[in-house]
Amino acid sequence: MKVPYNWLRDYVEIPYSPEELANRLTMAGVEVGDIQVFAPLDEKIVAGKIEELSLHPTNKKLQLVKVNAGDALLSVVCGAWNIKVGDLVALALPGSVLPGGMEIRVSEIKGVSSEGMLCSAAELGLDLTDGEKGILVLDEECAPGTRLADILFVNEPVLELDLTPNRADCLGLLGVAREVAAQTGGKIRLPECSVEETGRDIRELAEVKILESELCTRYTARMMEGFRIAPSPVNMQLRLLSAGIRSIYNLVDVTNYVMWETGFPMHAFDYDKLEKGRIIVRRAAPGEEIVTLDGVTRKLDPEVLVIADDRVPVGLAGVMGGENTEITTSTKRLLLEAACFNPMNIRMTARKMNLPSEASQRYEKGVDPDAAVFVQNRAVRLIQETAGGVICRGIIDNYPKPYSIPRIKLRTSKVEKVLGYSVDKEEIKDILERLSLDVSSYTENAGSDAGSDAQGASTGAVFLVNVPSFRRDLKIEEDLIEEIARLKGFDKIPSTLPVGVLTAGRPSKARRVMDKVKDTLVACGLQEIITFSFMNPRLFDELNLPADDPRRNAVKIHNPLTEEQGVLRTTLIPGMLQVMQYNFNRQIDNQLLFELGKVFDPPVGKAKLPVEKMMVALALSGKAPQNDWQVPPVAIDFYYLKGILETLLDNLGVANYRWEEAKLPLLHPSRGARLFVENQEAGFLGALHPAAAENIDLRQDIYLAELELDVFLNTASLVPSFKPLPRYPSVFRDIAFIVPDTSRAGDILQEIKGLSGAWLEDIRLFDVYRGKQMAEGQISLAFALTFRHSERTLTDKEIDEILDKIEKELSRKYKAVLRKI
Amino acid sequence: MHERIEKLRETLAEDLKSAADLKELEAMRVRYLGKKGEVTLLMRKMGEVPAEERPFFGKLLNELKKSAEGLFDNRKAELESKDAANRWERERIDVTLPGRSFSVGRKHPITLVLEEIEEIFTCMGFKIAEGPDVELDYYNFEALNMPPEHPARDMQDSFYINPEVLLRTHTSPVEVRTMEAQAPELPVRIISPGKVYRRDDDVTHSPMFHQVEGLVVDRGITFADLKGTLLMFAREMFGKDREIRLRPSFFPFTEPSAEVDISCIVCNGKGCRVCGGTGWLEILGSGMSHPHVLRVSGYDPEEVTGYAFGMGVERIAMLKYGIDDIRLFYTNDLRMLSQR
Repeated sequence: MKVPYNWLRDYVEIPYSPEELANRLTMAGVEVGDIQVFAPLDEKIVAGKIEELSLHPTNKKLQLVKVNAGDALLSVVCGAWNIKVGDLVALALPGSVLPGGMEIRVSEIKGVSSEGMLCSAAELGLDLTDGEKGILVLDEECAPGTRLADILFVNEPVLELDLTPNRADCLGLLGVAREVAAQTGGKIRLPECSVEETGRDIRELAEVKILESELCTRYTARMMEGFRIAPSPVNMQLRLLSAGIRSIYNLVDVTNYVMWETGFPMHAFDYDKLEKGRIIVRRAAPGEEIVTLDGVTRKLDPEVLVIADDRVPVGLAGVMGGENTEITTSTKRLLLEAACFNPMNIRMTARKMNLPSEASQRYEKGVDPDAAVFVQNRAVRLIQETAGGVICRGIIDNYPKPYSIPRIKLRTSKVEKVLGYSVDKEEIKDILERLSLDVSSYTENAGSDAGSDAQGASTGAVFLVNVPSFRRDLKIEEDLIEEIARLKGFDKIPSTLPVGVLTAGRPSKARRVMDKVKDTLVACGLQEIITFSFMNPRLFDELNLPADDPRRNAVKIHNPLTEEQGVLRTTLIPGMLQVMQYNFNRQIDNQLLFELGKVFDPPVGKAKLPVEKMMVALALSGKAPQNDWQVPPVAIDFYYLKGILETLLDNLGVANYRWEEAKLPLLHPSRGARLFVENQEAGFLGALHPAAAENIDLRQDIYLAELELDVFLNTASLVPSFKPLPRYPSVFRDIAFIVPDTSRAGDILQEIKGLSGAWLEDIRLFDVYRGKQMAEGQISLAFALTFRHSERTLTDKEIDEILDKIEKELSRKYKAVLRKI
Repeated sequence: MHERIEKLRETLAEDLKSAADLKELEAMRVRYLGKKGEVTLLMRKMGEVPAEERPFFGKLLNELKKSAEGLFDNRKAELESKDAANRWERERIDVTLPGRSFSVGRKHPITLVLEEIEEIFTCMGFKIAEGPDVELDYYNFEALNMPPEHPARDMQDSFYINPEVLLRTHTSPVEVRTMEAQAPELPVRIISPGKVYRRDDDVTHSPMFHQVEGLVVDRGITFADLKGTLLMFAREMFGKDREIRLRPSFFPFTEPSAEVDISCIVCNGKGCRVCGGTGWLEILGSGMSHPHVLRVSGYDPEEVTGYAFGMGVERIAMLKYGIDDIRLFYTNDLRMLSQR
């Protein structure tokens, strides 16, 4: 909402500069986003009176103008012909600068000296009707030499309000004026609206029927005839322009002008084009159409409220009029509409038709129903002032359910209870009255009335407040309390801290587990990323996800911004790969990434909401260590990632887990594994499938893992459990076996573990060797074993017996041969 | 005899000086103090000295032996330390070579800011509450006093799954969910961090971003308490010199409502480019819980009051890190994320 400062002053005394006003409004909750100066105009552009006109001696397309500039008679060469002697025109004196940057100097034009320039409205940067067609001739009397800035509505500071939706009252200057008055304690001045009705009775000419009283709560009509359609006075045009509205001609300009004054949109119909002079407010019939004022044919449906005549729709209610009843230069009689519509219906129609307008914006927030008649009177009076004509007798006012003024109980005790400080009851009354609220009565100590007051201290006063229809946002006691706090100033509110019983703020175990996951992965050198919760479903195809993979069953977003964000992600992997690709394209080859985030599975059974699962995904590519002059970098591989996952599981205190070789979607068919925790599937790990990598144009080796965190939440233990320190020494033994290279190291390790019995404290695979000393197809696996007995020292003989057993069993099962180390 | 002793004393002192290393010194010690050493030999010759002079020379010789032993020990220590110094010199390394490389990762800047906010509030006794990202229209709008026709729904263009289900546009639904679960128990004292979604995508808007909602409900909670809590937060988060400013505003689920500004963290309120010359930065919205919200969540607004606030995490991160494009958080450019 644009608020021209000096226009606002028509309605209220403003003891503040535009900047101070802006600050005060902002601090009172009517935020001023910005102040701009409308139509800045040089001081040396003045009103000049034309004294004499003659032809240019050599160029017949020019004329010589003697123009009175107040203190001098200047000779100016001019190329326009819309001027006559006696006209007051816009004259740019030498030394002035036009808004376009052109500097005016005394100059010679075709041999004749020109001591300035007569300007068109367009040359002054003013977008007036016909502003390019000749010199701007002023329509107001003033002395020659008067600065244009003093008589035209220019150089105008315009405040741009960023209104919150509740303050629809400030969508009209009168509402803003009320706000100013509430702050200054001043009174507002309503614009003149007395009318002289001399025409025929409107009831003989027109009829209004509301068929949908839920959608149209009030419809008023007035009529005029005998007016002269023409451009509006220059200053009215300028005022509208300063508010951001282009001038059309007087009738339409007045409806816009009044809308800006009051916040109440109006519409003017060409009465003679209304079939039988009838206005019928109804739903559109199925298949009905209308050509709106913008020339677009629009298909209608019964959800759309239309204004119709006896035959066809003549306007989209509250949104835009129809071409068929548009005011034209040949219009003889007009019917003016000031009506109230259902905000939701208007919003829906404006959306559906993609027609947001100044009018629909106001209707969507609701207009003051009790203002309609005032608005009508103001409009016809202004039309008469600007276009002449006769006002028809009477006003049609169809107001099936008049607005009932709510009465709100306000307890001073409640004011204190909500705000935390007490406000004197006289001050409360004063504030409410400054807001034009009617404080009809108040009683002291209405303890029984406010009996539900939990403090029981209802010793304060109780006001009964009637809220006028222009502040329909005030509905409950708390709304009034806000008004009190707002006008007193939020800066007057003290700062205190809540008093109450202590509460435990410590994060839940789940959150602490997640924190630990992040901390561990960061310590392992991984960078956290955060990607969008949506994804492009096309990525499922590109990653060769099988047609029956449950992850394809993603929840669709009904109205995504782009197809890239078409569905809710069911896995973190695609988003992660996109981040990798982005960074590879920026020459970052070393990428160690992780993300903790939710994925979304479709609702189960009768549930309405998707199943949200917390996942952690890892993606690695590149070499490690980086930048080390002692240790040469080695390509990051499966085991690097597996090591990180094992570190993570270990750090979370998850002991009972295992990996199983598996052929999985997304993963290289022979480089993938499933993770089981407590025999429950918990995630996967592996190399990105080469075909998928090729599809998305990734040439680097990438290793991926995705784990479902919920599985760990129960298993993880964040507190280490104490085991007594050993009292007897341990026995270390290294053993190595040569086995066929098709054997699985994990199987053999498990086997050894099983065979070693309860004394085995630790087992570690420390070497894998294939090569020169090995026969073809053979591999050597070396294990370090630690044995310990808690109550005595183990003997070599005891250990040897175990090792013998291991050797025999492995030889039988795996064709393993003990290798002498 | 006397002369011989004195002579020996002198040569010994001279010799000691010339001993270049421990080996030479040891040989010298044998030469003087060994079984066949000169001092020993001289002692054996005591027999040749007249009996009455023996005590005198005996004493002299013992002194010589003792002082010689002392001198040898000193010289030995001297040579030993020189030896060690030499050895250590040979062990010299180039301390200017870079150390071994340990790569530690880094959390996303949004996580860091979230953690800081969470820490401040949990230390004040706020419990962390969470809710679903995909939410029922009821919790996202209706329970928060935004019935279908409410104009405030315009403020938040939402991603819908179906007419009843949408991606939450704020973390405020968690307020209602928490109160529903807890009512009628008091106090409610939570923050709710999480992802939220709005249909917007430009330099200052991301279709997904993060919010932290806060809610306190108890007997006797006031607007002044809200102000005090937020002042404490602002000072913990942005430094102890911070001031806050509340401006009246509108949220359907709070009444009264306030936007909260902090004094600019760049210019300290003098006015600069970051704060647009105003000296203030808007960081959160807040207000007293609307009676409707308390009522539908199971509390009697005549008995209890509450305050609520909500802040955009990206906004705070942008201010803290001086980032001017919100989309940078979700591009995940490692050149940015790895900055320290």
